[in-house]
Amino acid sequence: MRVPLKWKLYTAVGRYLPFLKIKPPEVDRKAAMTLRPGRNSLLTWEAQESGKTLLKVPVNLQSGRVKKRLAQWMKVPNERTVELDEVGAYVWELCDGKHTVEQIVQLTAGAYKMNRREAEVSVTMFLQMLHERNFIGFYKRTAKKARKG
Amino acid sequence: MNQSTELQAGDVGEEEMPSLDTALQTVVGWQGVRCVLPPDWNVAGFSMERESGYLRIDAPSDSSLTVQIRWTDAGAPDVKTPYHVLAKRVRKLLRRPEPKQAQIDLKANLDKFLKEIAKQSKKSKEKLDAHSKPERVEREDGKRRSINFSWSGAGKGQGKIWHCQVCNRVLVAQVVGMGKDQNAIAAIASRLFQSLEDHTEDGFDLWALYDLQVGIPDGFRLESQKLLSGYLHLAFQRGAERIVVDRWGLANITLKKFTVAEWFANHAQVNLRSLQKREETLANGHNITRFSGKLSVLSRLVAIRQARFSLRGVPTRFEGGVWHCPESNKIYSVQIWRQTRAEKIWEEVLSRCVCH
Ligand SMILES: [Zn+2]
Ligand SMILES: [Zn+2]
Repeated sequence: MRVPLKWKLYTAVGRYLPFLKIKPPEVDRKAAMTLRPGRNSLLTWEAQESGKTLLKVPVNLQSGRVKKRLAQWMKVPNERTVELDEVGAYVWELCDGKHTVEQIVQLTAGAYKMNRREAEVSVTMFLQMLHERNFIGFYKRTAKKARKG
Repeated sequence: MNQSTELQAGDVGEEEMPSLDTALQTVVGWQGVRCVLPPDWNVAGFSMERESGYLRIDAPSDSSLTVQIRWTDAGAPDVKTPYHVLAKRVRKLLRRPEPKQAQIDLKANLDKFLKEIAKQSKKSKEKLDAHSKPERVEREDGKRRSINFSWSGAGKGQGKIWHCQVCNRVLVAQVVGMGKDQNAIAAIASRLFQSLEDHTEDGFDLWALYDLQVGIPDGFRLESQKLLSGYLHLAFQRGAERIVVDRWGLANITLKKFTVAEWFANHAQVNLRSLQKREETLANGHNITRFSGKLSVLSRLVAIRQARFSLRGVPTRFEGGVWHCPESNKIYSVQIWRQTRAEKIWEEVLSRCVCH
């Protein structure tokens, strides 16, 4: 995913913040980088030989009650797949509730020899995208103590 | 990434050797302004204009420090009426000297700048406390007058304003952070001001950001840019002559599907089929696939149109090349539309393009 590098990070990460109920702009990048993304337990995934990963997303993950009923009644397949590219798959594996955003940025930058800011911008935007789709949530502290939101 | 041998000046003693290794430092270059900062600092804001512009460079996300640099061309008139533009052209044509300017009042410039900061501090209900040192003359040639300053209010800042007689720029640069960052601010400021320059000595502007480093003849102006994660693109123009530098990240993934030459053919701005192709080795050991040859009449017309119908320096030849840098996992390409007589330009630019 190509994202403008001029993008202010706190804006990008800041969009996660309502989830944490912390007021911007007091929350600096520093705080956002300590969050720990964790995968939604309703999702399963399959790593492919090409390096890509297929996420199997229950159809009713995002939809409301009416939609869910309607889907059951119309016998819509109850799963859809989403393909993550190689870097996406790498980041996905790291969303285990243990790694912080900062650590994921560093690991991705190292693995793909990306410039720090390039990694920061694309990883945070990617995480934001996953979060908007309910594929991941953010833990504020360690995985054990945290409550999934 | 940890090797920097090719980039080091050959004739300096080993201990003093300046290294461009990104593991040790970040080199930033924009519109003739350049500086060296600690690793992982990155450009977070810039302006496209050369005459007056700004640059913001941020510390990595575990710090709130930032470096701000602003410059203006002291020779540029405040108001650009057609009269001013015309008068300048006529003076050039008649080889008359530019009218002598009154000496730049640095203190007044600094006061204006600090007023802006005071305004910002007021917004966050903090009072600004600013200090400045007496004006002094810097450098052996005495061609730079400067004033050091520091302030605290909504945050803390330490900086310097100067006027350079060589390029006639007034530049103000500062390191800004939170109150608790006092020591870090001082350390960064010292590093910044050891390396900060506002003009080039060798006729090549350094353009350096996000690990990309290239030297472009200083007559060329930045015409367009794309700075995206995974793709950097800088295009420069001198009359109708043109230099385009592209850099793609994640080369290991791209090269699973394409060869380097195929990738270039998909992205080059000319038809490569009519050009002479050859393989060469760069000074840093990478293999480069090169394309060169005469530009067709159509391509020349396109170049003139791109230069907004400037007939100055209409290019007649194309030089292009693409290479893979495994050390940085990047693909680089350089494309040049040049006049017949600008023969050396390819070597000059390529030798200043640092990929790892
Ligand atoms: Zn200068
Ligand atoms: Zn290289």
